[in-house]
Amino acid sequence: MALASLERLSYWYPGAGAQARALDRVTLPIGPGLTLLAGPSGGGKSTLLRVLNGLVPHFHGGRIGGAATVSGLDVLRTPTRRLARHVGFVFQDPERQTVYATVEREVAFGLESTAVPAAAMPARVEAALIRAGAAHLLGRRMAALSGGERQRVAVAAALVLEPDILALDEPTSQLDPGGVELVLDACRALAAAGTAVVIAEHRLEGLLRVAGRTLAVAGGRVTAASARRVAVRPPAPRRPALEAWNLRGVTAGPGLEPVLAEVDASGGAGEVVALMGPNGGGKTTLLRCLAGLLPPRSGAVDRRPGRIAYLPQDPAALLHRPTVRDEVELTLRRAGEPPDARPILERLGLAAVAGRYPRDLSSGERQRAALAAVLAGRPAIALLDEPTRGMDEAARRSLAGLVADLRDQGTAVVLATHDAALVAAVADRVLRVEEGRVVEAGRPRGLAAVTLEAVPAELPA
Amino acid sequence: MNGRAVAAWSAACLLGVLLTTNPGYRALVLAAALGAVLAGAGWRRTRRLLIGVALAVLSAVVLNFAFSHLGADALFALPDGWVLIGGPWTLEALVFGLASGLAVAGAVLAVAPLSLLLEPHQVVDALPGPLARTGAAVAASLNLVPGLARSFTAISEAQRMRGWRPRGPASWAEVVVPAVLTAIEDSIQLAEAMEARGFGSGPRTRYSPPTLTQTDLLLLGAAGLSAVLLVLARVLGQAADWYPYPFLRPPALAPLGVAACLPLFLPAWLWRSPR
Repeated sequence: MALASLERLSYWYPGAGAQARALDRVTLPIGPGLTLLAGPSGGGKSTLLRVLNGLVPHFHGGRIGGAATVSGLDVLRTPTRRLARHVGFVFQDPERQTVYATVEREVAFGLESTAVPAAAMPARVEAALIRAGAAHLLGRRMAALSGGERQRVAVAAALVLEPDILALDEPTSQLDPGGVELVLDACRALAAAGTAVVIAEHRLEGLLRVAGRTLAVAGGRVTAASARRVAVRPPAPRRPALEAWNLRGVTAGPGLEPVLAEVDASGGAGEVVALMGPNGGGKTTLLRCLAGLLPPRSGAVDRRPGRIAYLPQDPAALLHRPTVRDEVELTLRRAGEPPDARPILERLGLAAVAGRYPRDLSSGERQRAALAAVLAGRPAIALLDEPTRGMDEAARRSLAGLVADLRDQGTAVVLATHDAALVAAVADRVLRVEEGRVVEAGRPRGLAAVTLEAVPAELPA
Repeated sequence: MNGRAVAAWSAACLLGVLLTTNPGYRALVLAAALGAVLAGAGWRRTRRLLIGVALAVLSAVVLNFAFSHLGADALFALPDGWVLIGGPWTLEALVFGLASGLAVAGAVLAVAPLSLLLEPHQVVDALPGPLARTGAAVAASLNLVPGLARSFTAISEAQRMRGWRPRGPASWAEVVVPAVLTAIEDSIQLAEAMEARGFGSGPRTRYSPPTLTQTDLLLLGAAGLSAVLLVLARVLGQAADWYPYPFLRPPALAPLGVAACLPLFLPAWLWRSPR
């Protein structure tokens, strides 16, 4: 039984030309179970999800054609606030969807908004938390939760209105492996209980095991897809002759309690060192110490002379120049290097959008523009903080190629990441950072990157 | 703690510092507000706020002392040709600046418990029904503030690593513009998330309708009593304005005016438990 149905649905964002359809004649029935939407950034996954609860077109505007029905309601004529009773929605970033400061109030927000009597709320909040596997979080403050816990609360907040459909837009992109498992467990249980769970995601490894069906969304079109695993070929480890950075007995942290405790570590020119470990373990603190942004309380940090390129967790937030080319040239001019943006723009597949305003690009292009803006030229040391966060497969491939280029030109690269496939593809050495300690760890082996191939077939419910 | 009771006390304090320019009453209200804030939130949580308030008072004193050249008791004089600051610097201007600073400090500390001691949802719950939707939107936007601060720090650090250095106001555009654009994007995302959870679909209900404890009733009573006595004192001329120009004279304090301020000290006793 289809809980939602799209019939030849086409959609154009406001200002888009006649040919720039975000969705192109999509016909898709959605039934109970877990449906996975995969595909490149800008391909239409998020737009498709937003049709289910009417955010497209009611919140975003634009033009729409065809038909969409959810739980018997005509999406094109029913406002989102009414569809919210039938479709729960979870967004990518748990912090940017939080309304209240405590867990129970956060979950109850939907009930308050739909005028559910106060007496009925506590039981429904508790039931939603149980369904999302987050009952133990009752009474906690949102600010004290990990990313995975916050995302579970977001799932509970979406479930509290007892929707027929739960739509999740890249719900695991901000999470460490533990957080990903927490969210996926909750989705698995819901799908097994008969809810239609629709997830748009780039990180396919964990989801493919549990998805009832997998669809590829690209260029606004939806097709059936099959997964293909591509073995990751690790680079031959290098023994750098020249030391590029060194931490000796470093104790450091931004608050009252130190995050790093007497850490010793080093890396060489032309060597890629990966920092792995759980969120809050000290990876970012270590990078900030190396960058000189956080002075150590004790111990010493030595770096080779030269420019340090630092990629923060949300690099796209940096972008402010009128064009992508301007962003890159700004970095190069400041570094005293020839302001030729062309090589890195071509390397990252951005030559065609070099003259466009960076914040108007799709999220994947924007992410690559930020990479180009930070990593252009010949930095002596490159520090990358969770560089594949929210990246699609093409952007991840671009990043891996760029890191290899940097290594080949003698740049010392340090990357903090949860992305085991990236580490396997580019890292010479792995350091595990956990509870403020750093220990040498082995490189991930036997990994395969997952790619999708469209399969011409009917789309069953 | 009931949001409406705290808001009533804050309103009574504001009445105390705004109804009269008499620095005696303003000092009493300031003492009551300072005692309440310290009792409720403790020194560690209020330290930054108090430093900010002290700077505001200092600014009021310096500005009035430097730019108002009224009064009979000149402490020193600068050449008349000096723009704005030229002329006599008087004791009266210095003291009037201090009296204005007391009002600023009293007003800030009067409303501080609303943010220091209450959760945003408690403030929202305290609002009358017709304002519930606005209140929920305000509470949601308050949640963006810590993220905005983190975003500002992260962007300034990353731009610094790209070679940016703060050189004059124009240079800050490289940090402020992306931080503001990111904040706008975050706000739109939050609005989208609220819409997706049914916000705006009609009248709202409350998860925990506010209830009044005995302590809250005491606080409401004290706030009401203080407000009535303040208005009465004002009407009867016992909380008259004070003006130091042209000759400085001490402010007069009347028993009714002092009595009006005393109930405002109640929270300093009620909220003394550590938080």
